[in-house]
Amino acid sequence: MPYGEPDPQDPHALIGVTLPGDRESMREMAATFAEEFAALGFDEAQLLNLFRKPQNAGAHRAWSVLGEVEVRRIISEALEIWGRFRFVVRDAEPQPAGSQKRLVQIGDGPRLIGEDD
Amino acid sequence: MARVNNWHLGREMSYPYEARFPERQFAFVFNINRCIACQSCTMACKSTWTFSKGQEHMWWANVETKPYGGYPQSWDIKILHKLHEADPGGQYWDGVVSDERTGPYGQFEGKTIFEAAETTLDPESSRVVGYLPADEEWSSPNIYEDNPVGKKGVRDQLDKVGTELPVHDTWFFYLARICNHCSYPACLAACPRKAIYKRPEDGIVLLDQEQCRGYRKCVEACPYKKSMYRGNTRVSEKCIACYPRVEGTDPESDGVPMETRCMAACIGQIRLQGLAKLDEDGTWAEDRQNPLYYLVHEAKVALPLYPQLGTQPNGYYIPPRWVPKPYLEQMFGPGVERAVERYKFPDRELLCVLNLFRRDNRIIFRYEIEEGPKIYEGNYRGRPFTLYNDTVIAFGEDGRELFRTTVEEPLHVRTNVHANSI
Repeated sequence: MPYGEPDPQDPHALIGVTLPGDRESMREMAATFAEEFAALGFDEAQLLNLFRKPQNAGAHRAWSVLGEVEVRRIISEALEIWGRFRFVVRDAEPQPAGSQKRLVQIGDGPRLIGEDD
Repeated sequence: MARVNNWHLGREMSYPYEARFPERQFAFVFNINRCIACQSCTMACKSTWTFSKGQEHMWWANVETKPYGGYPQSWDIKILHKLHEADPGGQYWDGVVSDERTGPYGQFEGKTIFEAAETTLDPESSRVVGYLPADEEWSSPNIYEDNPVGKKGVRDQLDKVGTELPVHDTWFFYLARICNHCSYPACLAACPRKAIYKRPEDGIVLLDQEQCRGYRKCVEACPYKKSMYRGNTRVSEKCIACYPRVEGTDPESDGVPMETRCMAACIGQIRLQGLAKLDEDGTWAEDRQNPLYYLVHEAKVALPLYPQLGTQPNGYYIPPRWVPKPYLEQMFGPGVERAVERYKFPDRELLCVLNLFRRDNRIIFRYEIEEGPKIYEGNYRGRPFTLYNDTVIAFGEDGRELFRTTVEEPLHVRTNVHANSI
């Protein structure tokens, strides 16, 4: 299939279907990406880059359809909240020295130091 | 067929075997709103489990572009079409979306893949409505999207002048998929050799290759098409949920239950995987502080994939906010409106739990929240929004703390060079 054209006789092939969607769903998609990545710590320049890059198909499509001005407005709306803070992860205190096993490669595969032979 | 309780459907249904449930069930939540289809999960799985000869077409984990993508091609459209043929006009949900633990999405009035088999298939040994994809339908993990096909008729050559990815004139989203390790697996139901079993300790569905004779009944029956046939060994294979990691027996795990490879590789931080405690009737036992329980049963932002198929899948999805509701309701059932609304404007606890996603490779069994002061109050997109400096603490199986996340206002330290430049 990937090397040929869709077969119009195949009842399961997607030939042409109507997908409901409008400018609002595009705006909502852009807002979602802006919020999610702002919450992950992206700043304004990084977010704008996310939208400008054609490799990010969803975000770039929104940028093409809505335009840079609207995307900048969406970004600034998201950063108004999510740009003020950042989420910080702190790992729990490590276990006392010697209690954790260390991996080494011996023979056919990994074994644990301290394991009985 | 036996009668079993399916809480996704809000009713009993037919299944070839009597219900048997594990102590705990392998389950996961994927947040579609964050998936950018980087395919890191796909490659993590591929490089761990399916890199050998004869497995070239196998992608136990894949990410497909919806609505038009699929692996194998059009898998969901085909099975929905078959059910529509078996029960024309009858595939609908009734009742109301509620906060109940059993039947939270109302009641499904149509036929599942097992019930449709009762009325449409002959002989009696046919237990599940399904289909066997053709070889070429398995050829791409995300057809027409991430698979540049090159010049027509020219194989194995790069395009000299480059090519462009398709431009979509409408909405779309990325759907990450693995085996759902269903509570009522269709693959298990269909296997004439009884080679497929569900582990009593964690509900992971495995295929015993010693018992398998490669009849491909599981491939035909699994509606999600996550059982695959390997030609050079002549037996079928499927996702094993990286069970050594989940058990804590993988050398890397140091005896602690870990999330699977596809979860651990997710750079978009869309995934959270764990083990859900089950009641005797197969419903999730109340486990208020388990993040999966909270997302599925309290916040109800995570919904099962195509619950109407009847296998009671254990993969749950936070639906994408921007996609038209009718499409999402077909895919995730009637709970979509509520899930999207709650996710869009998360409350204090949901915001904390969403910050547990992908912060650690170890499985989170419990979380606690230490409430902090209010740090922001304002309006966001026309609604009042308040943010607190709460700390969410994750605990492992042994009750020990794994990590904690909190909110900080970024602190910018001016360098000496510019110390007095204001």
